[in-house]
Amino acid sequence: MATGEPTQRLSPPASAFALAAAIVLLFNTALACVKDAYAPLSRFMGSLTGHNWTTQGLADVILFLAVGAILTKTEWAAAIAPRTLVILLIASTIAASVALAAWYVFF
Amino acid sequence: MIAGRDIVLLAHAGCGMLGILAALWVCVEALNTREGNASRIRFGSLLTTASVCVAWILGGYWYLHFYPAEKAIILKGPWPFAHNVFMETKEHLFFATLILAIYLPICAAERLDRNAIARRMVVSVALLIVATGLAVEAAGAVIDHGVKIALLRLHS
Repeated sequence: MATGEPTQRLSPPASAFALAAAIVLLFNTALACVKDAYAPLSRFMGSLTGHNWTTQGLADVILFLAVGAILTKTEWAAAIAPRTLVILLIASTIAASVALAAWYVFF
Repeated sequence: MIAGRDIVLLAHAGCGMLGILAALWVCVEALNTREGNASRIRFGSLLTTASVCVAWILGGYWYLHFYPAEKAIILKGPWPFAHNVFMETKEHLFFATLILAIYLPICAAERLDRNAIARRMVVSVALLIVATGLAVEAAGAVIDHGVKIALLRLHS
């Protein structure tokens, strides 16, 4: 914050990148499951960097930075209540963790 | 003499653990936030990001160059799930830790001593890094044991 006044808001970058992180965590989980179930996608991702895992990691980081930058510019995420963003990030992390573990245990 | 591949693996696990401890440090500092510890919170959050990113690079190098041989051993041993479940989950769950670690300095840049919701965000993100990081470290131990018991069976 530029001022020293107490506040209950997150700055536009903090809001934007929180939403971007929640989106990327779910994207990462979906991509892991889809590439595992659909070998041509895994092969295509492997052809880009030499290994599908490398491509997935780079895609996650690039997507996080790009979505975060776009959301910072548009201030869409800043319109969401900060408390909702905290809950969204916690929920997406738990959902991603449980979904990944369940996918590899059951499929 | 410790082989280079072993140094890479141990440094990978060590950097991951350093990232977890740094995130825990950030969490404790944020819970006791005041104007005086803002610089420590920012330093701790940057240390978390740096440690997890180095763990990613070292782990990625090891995974691509040295893991295939260990994977073959695991799959022939009594614990194939050490790869099929634990490694598969670990290698993808790690990206959650990575993204959260990159985000931590962004939310830690807020004035936490005057912003309760930013403080809550920093504490939440730091704890998520600790939780997912410990899960990834634990999965690494299971994978390691999968190799060990496969080799023990081979030599008994």
